[in-house]
Amino acid sequence: MERATQLAVPLGQTEVFQALQRLHMTIFSQSVSPCGKFLAAGNNYGQIAIFSLSAALSSEAKEESKKPVVTFQAHDGPVYSMVSTDRHLLSAGDGEVKAWLWAEILKKGCKEVWRRQPPYRTSLEVPEINALLLVPKENSLILAGGDCQLHAMDLETGTFTRALRGHTDYIHCLALRERSPEVLSGGEDGAVRLWDLRTAKEAQTIEVYKHEECSRPHNGRWIGCLATDSDWMVCGGGPALTLWHLRSSTPTTIFPMRAPQKHVTFYQDLVLTSAGNSCRVDVFTNLGYRAFSLSF
Amino acid sequence: MSTESSKKRKPKVIRSDGTPTEGKRNRSDTEQAIEIEERRIQSCVHFMTLKKLNRLAHIRLKKGRDQTHEAKQKVDAYHLQLQNLLYEVMHLQKEITKCLEFKSKHEEIDLVSLEEFYKEAPTDISKAEVTMGDPHQQTLARLDWELEQRKRLAEKYRECLSNKEKILKEIEVKKEYLSSLQPRLNSIMQASLPVQEYLFMPFDQAHKQYETARHLPPPLYVLFVQATAYGQACDKTLSVAIEGSVDEAKALFKPPDDSQDDESDSDAEEEQTTKRRRPTLGVQLDDKRKEMLKRHPLSVMVDLKCKDDSVLHLTFYYLMNLNILTVKAKVTTATELITPISAGDLLSPDSVLSCLYPGDHGKKTPNPANQYQFDKVGILTLRDYVLDLGHPYLWVQKLGGLHFPKEQPQHTVIADHSLSASHMETTMKLLKTRVQSRLALHKQFASLEHGIVPVTSDCQYLFPAKVVSRLVKWVTIVHEDYMELHYTKDIVEAGLAGDTNLYYLALIERGTAKLQAAVVLNPGYSSIPPIFQLCLNWKGEKTNSNDDNIRAMESEVNVCYKELCGPRPSHQLLTNQLQRLCVLLDVYLETESHDDSVEGPKEFPQEKMCLRLFRGPSRMKPFKYNHPQGFFSHR
Repeated sequence: MERATQLAVPLGQTEVFQALQRLHMTIFSQSVSPCGKFLAAGNNYGQIAIFSLSAALSSEAKEESKKPVVTFQAHDGPVYSMVSTDRHLLSAGDGEVKAWLWAEILKKGCKEVWRRQPPYRTSLEVPEINALLLVPKENSLILAGGDCQLHAMDLETGTFTRALRGHTDYIHCLALRERSPEVLSGGEDGAVRLWDLRTAKEAQTIEVYKHEECSRPHNGRWIGCLATDSDWMVCGGGPALTLWHLRSSTPTTIFPMRAPQKHVTFYQDLVLTSAGNSCRVDVFTNLGYRAFSLSF
Repeated sequence: MSTESSKKRKPKVIRSDGTPTEGKRNRSDTEQAIEIEERRIQSCVHFMTLKKLNRLAHIRLKKGRDQTHEAKQKVDAYHLQLQNLLYEVMHLQKEITKCLEFKSKHEEIDLVSLEEFYKEAPTDISKAEVTMGDPHQQTLARLDWELEQRKRLAEKYRECLSNKEKILKEIEVKKEYLSSLQPRLNSIMQASLPVQEYLFMPFDQAHKQYETARHLPPPLYVLFVQATAYGQACDKTLSVAIEGSVDEAKALFKPPDDSQDDESDSDAEEEQTTKRRRPTLGVQLDDKRKEMLKRHPLSVMVDLKCKDDSVLHLTFYYLMNLNILTVKAKVTTATELITPISAGDLLSPDSVLSCLYPGDHGKKTPNPANQYQFDKVGILTLRDYVLDLGHPYLWVQKLGGLHFPKEQPQHTVIADHSLSASHMETTMKLLKTRVQSRLALHKQFASLEHGIVPVTSDCQYLFPAKVVSRLVKWVTIVHEDYMELHYTKDIVEAGLAGDTNLYYLALIERGTAKLQAAVVLNPGYSSIPPIFQLCLNWKGEKTNSNDDNIRAMESEVNVCYKELCGPRPSHQLLTNQLQRLCVLLDVYLETESHDDSVEGPKEFPQEKMCLRLFRGPSRMKPFKYNHPQGFFSHR
């Protein structure tokens, strides 16, 4: 008797194409809704999918609960970063930032509320926006990406107030230091720069690759991810994932992870990190223990 | 009389003398003598009177008797007369009653009713004034009228009979005429054959085909009719013919065909008892199997001619006991094809039509009822017999109008013309595209095996002018080998690597870098793209699990294949994908960031024009080629 070892679904052209898309999909960004019930994820095809976290985490969760509630094409290029305000979901990718209303987002055919493009210097290629950062005290949004600058945008008026220059190569990630409102940015040039928002000047620079304990030359010098907790900072990427003391600019702990890290956050006292390059969002409920995955 | 009486007396006297004589002897004899004499005279007189009286008595008696006799005779005569008369009276009475009871035939005749009679009969018969009063005359008149009518009708009947005779004779004559016409028409048809051929209107041939078609089993008949209709209406390159022996087909229908299995059972058992030492069980089972898989002696041949003069020959068979259709395929080309080693399976009859529709691999019988039949004779699956019998693809069943609903096995599935007609056009088009894409691949493989990626001139714009990486190897591998490769696990898990696909291994080299590509070729090429999985051996082994850029390269050929399709009918997809892989390898090697800790120059100097080397959080290389500016950018 014939037995199918894998899916025996007759695959037509569309099914094959969708399967190939899923195999080559990368999820770059995610954001939780203000009410905490939904998770938005953005992928490299420019699509955003909204998952219902309450359904997926509930006791009667079935396979369908792990599928998106709604998926829509948000950008032409990949969606590299997303943040949520109390009412809006902001997504950014290929040079533009768009805002979506959380209240409307579950309906089909949802349109963006507004879209903005920061003033770029070059016009040959539209640089990507790799990181978005909300500064709640000033109600502004900081964008950073391919053109090596940090742009600050006022959320009320939508105008671009400042542009902070200093990086020599494109910027990967941003982090906010709450107490003295400072922004940390890490980039391809291997440096973590601290910017003072009030003076719009560079306060501190840490060149991670120059420190021998954490540098890994075969990986490169780029800084992929940043997280800060006022006095402390974790960064990783080409160099190893390291915990830094900011005031003294010294590396204190080096985490023994092999692969270059992509995302990291502080959560209470735990560090959650992932080096994901698949179409799955891994949900960690505990350090090192992966509970389940949400699939696109 | 006296002598008589005397004679009579004498004895009396003697007697009487005898007795009293003793008493009276003494008396005087004389007195006695005188007395005796007197007495004697007296007695004689007495005797004479007695005689006379006797005589008289007799005569009177006789007279009386005669008289009585006469009277009696008279009485008898009168009696007889009376009898006669009485008899006659009786007879007459009988006659009278008979006469009275006599039903004349005229009363049995249904005469027309009185009113009608008076209406219809001419007056010289009806004579109304006479007949009205006299019922006897009336009846007579009516009878007359009846007689006349009958005579007239009898006349008519005779006339009609004679007409009928005449017409029958005419019919006979005409029939003879017609039957003599038939051989003449045949001879005309024969004579017109060369004319038909000259004008390309093969009516005769078509007619013969229709004749044979009458003996086809219903599904083949549906297929034949629909295919011929489609060929005539839409597609002149399609030709249909019937092959096989009509006599055998006719012979099939003579004996009743039910419970063939049981008959062969009992026959086989008889065989078993007579031939004891043979391994009969196996032979018996084998015979039963052969019986179950028997084909109908007639088959339908369909030839599809493609633009480049290659022909796809399809032969459709009908398996009678299983009620399914199978097909055998063969591709012939105008010129002789030299088959490159890797193209062995492309045009093989076994696999050329595999998965014409997704999932239709033709190795399993589509009729769910067959499973029960198979269990009886120990056949596991039809797969073992497909090489011999042909493939029972689902589209073949649909072309024959057979529809098998998935769940329930039905007893009788009838061949449906509308089902066949609705699938005919799509199927024929798919068949043609399949043959042409396979032939195109055939040619391309020949070139690939020599290390040349044949890119046509209208696809050159997709690639930069200078491509340094070269294809050095192109071989076919089997399904199991593909599954064993360590970098193909994702494709296998996603269910895209079934056993109906064809698998190949390509090797692209530049300098010390070797890029291995495992290719899954779906039978539905080129609407379903080939899938590539890469493994790069250069400064370590890089696959999509440890290097995002390899993943991006795979994405460039797998996901963005629509750009590489080229002009319709997109036969260039595979070669364009291979050429793009070469370009991608070039970009990858040239844009690899230089490791400062290692000494020496870069192995591959950057020659490609790129705006930026890295972009995005995943630091992708610029794999997208922009035409006509000729630089590389990111997606």
